[in-house]
Amino acid sequence: MRKYLLPLLFILFFILESLFVQTLPAEVFNSERILAPRFLMIVILFMTLYGHRDQGLVYGLVFGLLFDVVYTEIIGIYLFMFPLIAYIASKLMRILQSNIVVVSVISILCVVLLELGVYEMNYLINITNMDFSLFLNQRLFPTIVLNLAFIIIFAYPLKRIFEKYATSLRED
Amino acid sequence: MPQFFLNKRLILLLVSIIILVALIGFSLREREELTVPEQFLKDATGWIQNVVSRPQSYVTGIFENIKDLQNTYSENKELKSRLDGLAKLESDVQQLKKENNELREILDKKDSLSAYSPIQATVIGRNPDRWHELLIINKGKTNGIEQNMAVVSSNGFIIGKVKSTQQFTSTIQLLTAMDPTNRISAEIQGTDSYFGTIEGYDVERELLELKRIPYDAKIEKDQTVVTSGLGGIFPKGLPIGKVVDTEPDEFGLNQTAYVKPGANFYDIQNVMVVKRDMMQPDLSDMVDDEEEEL
Repeated sequence: MRKYLLPLLFILFFILESLFVQTLPAEVFNSERILAPRFLMIVILFMTLYGHRDQGLVYGLVFGLLFDVVYTEIIGIYLFMFPLIAYIASKLMRILQSNIVVVSVISILCVVLLELGVYEMNYLINITNMDFSLFLNQRLFPTIVLNLAFIIIFAYPLKRIFEKYATSLRED
Repeated sequence: MPQFFLNKRLILLLVSIIILVALIGFSLREREELTVPEQFLKDATGWIQNVVSRPQSYVTGIFENIKDLQNTYSENKELKSRLDGLAKLESDVQQLKKENNELREILDKKDSLSAYSPIQATVIGRNPDRWHELLIINKGKTNGIEQNMAVVSSNGFIIGKVKSTQQFTSTIQLLTAMDPTNRISAEIQGTDSYFGTIEGYDVERELLELKRIPYDAKIEKDQTVVTSGLGGIFPKGLPIGKVVDTEPDEFGLNQTAYVKPGANFYDIQNVMVVKRDMMQPDLSDMVDDEEEEL
């Protein structure tokens, strides 16, 4: 039973992103700003850094593919970005100490990296023609604030869950 | 130098970039239908989303009800003032409908471009990265939904078209998405009606761009824009929005009108997929005919 809990958690956050965008009333925030939830990315990062690194990368790969197929219909972008960013983060953590504050800062940096990467790719294949300054003001800063709030709320519970998972892996 | 190429990670990165480009290329081309594994994945997640979205819509429904209660009084006042005119309007509509039917019978013209049958659907998901502006609804091929059908919001304004269908779910592309194939043939209503196509969305001003209007067309503010039904798939007369202003295009041969969409693209719970009743001619037939004419 416990084996299935982790995939279920990921599926939950996968669905939560879409639910969040759907229920978020546009008037609450100024509707000119675009808030993009990157909860799944953050959970994958915590899995990679606190749980099992290779499994984290595999989760990144699988859910990146799922994200592409279900939400964007352009396969490749998230399939590539999720594992790559998780890998970069795991390399960074070799140098830094794994303190929860440091991990949170790294997660925010990774969200910025993901936003930039996805923006550049979408710009390249003509999905968007938004220029860079507009992208910064309209998308990136609101997105950072939203995901920072998510990290502040969920960082500690996520850390606990994945650390428990890591110890259970070691015991087996 | 050979050591450089023996680096395992570098080779892995290069191979994955090649795969990335190939996959993006594969999914960007014009696709009639998604591949079977994709359809299966979308249906499977659609099932989960369906389960989750029911309590979610219930809870948001409660909050919306409370919000509605707050301004009931002022709304009621305004509605009462409009009610007087309504009775006359209703009888007028009734009479016109009857007359229209009679005239149609005289002309022996049965099918019209504006006839359609609606399919009700609930939104169960939305693209979270906000680049593509896609919605997922809980009706699919089994309910008779086909690619490129028009999608209308609950207040009757057009919001987009069906991008792809699976067995039990389908994906809608909103008008706000930047996609060169996302075009709608539209008509500006007035004493003289003008035709153009809706292509593109101005993100900064939040207005739709209605292009290819003749340069001598006199368009006023607040004229209504509806679908013209000439595009082949959308029925005639679905409202799109109102004209805000016009400006000549870059070469001065045409005009571009900016249209304020009547639908809200952010708060969408229920939609209606519109199936045109009139038969759509087969593309292959049209091509053959053209050759004969030439």
